[in-house]
Amino acid sequence: MSDSSTGKPVNLRRRILAGGAAGLTIAGAQFVSRMAFAQTGPIKIGFPTPLTGAFSSEAQDQVRAAELAVKEFNAGGGFNGRKCELLVRDDKLNPGEAATRTLELIEKDKVDLIVGSLSAATQLSINAVCKARKVLFNSISQSDAINEAKDWSFYTFHEALTPHITAGAVARYAFPKFGKKVVYLTADYAYGHEMVRGFQRAGQAFGMQTLADIRHPLGTSDFSSFLPRIQALKPDVLVLCNFGRDLVNAAKQVTDFGLKQNMKVITPVLLYTSRQAGGAEAFEGIIGGTSYYWGLEDRIPTAKAFNDKFRKAYAGAVPSDYGALGYAGIRSVLQAITEARSTNATAVANVMRKMRYDFYKGVQNYRLCDHQSVQSVIVVESKSKAMKDKYDVFNVLSIEAPDEKNLRTCDELGHKVLS
Amino acid sequence: MIAKHRVASVLVFLLLFPLIMPYEALALNILIFGLYAVGFNLLFGYTGLLSFGHAAFFGVGSYLTGITIVHFGLPWWLAIVAGTLASGVAGLLIGFLAIRTRGIYFSMVTLALGQIVYYAFYKAERWTGGENGLRGVTVEQINVFGLTRDFVNPLTKYYVLYVFVALALWLVSRILASPFGAVIESIRENENRTAACGYNVARAKLLIFTLSAVICGLAGALRALHLSIVPIDSLHYLLSGQAVMMCLLGGMGTFFGPFVGAAVFLYLEDVATSFTTHWMAIVGVVFMIFVLFFPKGIWGTLVQQWQRRASSVETK
Repeated sequence: MSDSSTGKPVNLRRRILAGGAAGLTIAGAQFVSRMAFAQTGPIKIGFPTPLTGAFSSEAQDQVRAAELAVKEFNAGGGFNGRKCELLVRDDKLNPGEAATRTLELIEKDKVDLIVGSLSAATQLSINAVCKARKVLFNSISQSDAINEAKDWSFYTFHEALTPHITAGAVARYAFPKFGKKVVYLTADYAYGHEMVRGFQRAGQAFGMQTLADIRHPLGTSDFSSFLPRIQALKPDVLVLCNFGRDLVNAAKQVTDFGLKQNMKVITPVLLYTSRQAGGAEAFEGIIGGTSYYWGLEDRIPTAKAFNDKFRKAYAGAVPSDYGALGYAGIRSVLQAITEARSTNATAVANVMRKMRYDFYKGVQNYRLCDHQSVQSVIVVESKSKAMKDKYDVFNVLSIEAPDEKNLRTCDELGHKVLS
Repeated sequence: MIAKHRVASVLVFLLLFPLIMPYEALALNILIFGLYAVGFNLLFGYTGLLSFGHAAFFGVGSYLTGITIVHFGLPWWLAIVAGTLASGVAGLLIGFLAIRTRGIYFSMVTLALGQIVYYAFYKAERWTGGENGLRGVTVEQINVFGLTRDFVNPLTKYYVLYVFVALALWLVSRILASPFGAVIESIRENENRTAACGYNVARAKLLIFTLSAVICGLAGALRALHLSIVPIDSLHYLLSGQAVMMCLLGGMGTFFGPFVGAAVFLYLEDVATSFTTHWMAIVGVVFMIFVLFFPKGIWGTLVQQWQRRASSVETK
């Protein structure tokens, strides 16, 4: 491999010189490119989301919808002639990677603000980074912790629902109808516990009785050891407090085991994408909550407008719930920038605090103490018959109107009420 | 020259490193994971013990640094010391159990003990935040000898953490140059013969295991300050696997190799992610190429070339 024929010392020195020069050139180029950043360039929005990992299909839908919002804004002339640029980064569903990517977006790309995330842990890590640097962050993923005073900052906004309000809405709809005895099948981690808490809180008003809260490890694929126990408990309602693949697996096995004949199966968060992944049969008759379903277009004009834009841009496909959040998350910050006539984080935050907006699902606003978006919750039932096309998977059972009293109180979250 | 002053050379390189990286957070990650791989290499490359549980030490260092800041309000530097020491204690305990086994059994025992640590921290939600991770490890300003510096500034952060890495590298180099360093290398070459020479092999193994844990713990402690969070993934076995990959890629059993491995791995991952969601395939192929064609790793191969040339010049 080595040629050892020529004179070495001179050669080596030249190489070192050449190498050093190359190194300096690279360093110089990087430095210049950083300097070249212009103050009046486009409005830059960082969008970290797990393009790879278990939630990649939801994340890609988020990106599609976010890009739609950006395109719309730019087509409308932008703000003062400044167009918006969306910088999508893959956080790999890993909080460490999410923090690194957020640092990259803030320090290298100099984004004006951050929208995104798709898991409780990653949104909390993105929030921690943004909070320390006073960068505005609009989270589009569910979490109860992000609103708590410990994690929250003036620059934190939460566009998505919380497990508490979603579970509460489903409970308020389902508990009075299907009986008082409940069994929970819960994924044993923060998100699962938060959902159980939401159900139990809402259930108190109806005198619900918890027969058992059965915990299973996150990522369980075989639920057969839990099912006989559930059957023996003879509950009126079985609540599946898990998410993603766990929910799909649990729904399939509950169906195969025949539990649906004796009890009503409900779940706090019934995603369009989970339903598509699990199939009609497994989810047949299961009731759950969601932030958005395209079928709202019959009753809500903005939903119709949003769906039509989405269909036109993406070959007739309809937006999913998480996708719609990507759209709303981007639109609300852009609207706030336009109204504030500034990209300054404090100015934008101040406008957002006062904003009342209706982008896709009816009127929403951010609660003053924790910047939680107060919004409707849609309760849907999965169907397997009379479907018009492959997108038609849910019946909308009820829409719980936005109401602050369904959220955890500011006091409970630890806020020294700002309002 | 470089071989004689290996610590100084590495430090000069790392001093200029943030200038050639696309962004500082990546440079910091490489600095931290480089140190992690160096700590791992003490055990893997120099002693010949393949541990699959080193994420435990990285994570314990991270979590204890975070917990002492969040729950006990310790100053940042004391928190780093606390994290590093805690990791050393964990190393002592796990090492005590693990060095009784050899080969694949050693790897399995370390993996199992590492998983125990993972679940212990996962379940201690009150202290660690569980699945959500530990947040609030925020250090906004640091005060060194009356000088106040803005720790949020990425370059400041890099150079502050660099000082700790420098100290650790000096320590590692000192250990390797000592008679004890020769003992661990001889354990790698022939354990029975080392014992026959009168060295206490079990004690040497336990000591190097603990020192390796201390270095990895320090890397974890620095990461807690860098990211201002401690994710539960810090204890995940995938991270243990990453240390093995970085060492193999850069060159196990060389002083600078693990750093090169960490740099190439993380830089490649960063670049690949920005244009494809199939970044794992790219990183995997590169890794396979190196393992197949450059078994000594990137740095190991370079060192070998240099040595060959140097010896051929001498003979001329």
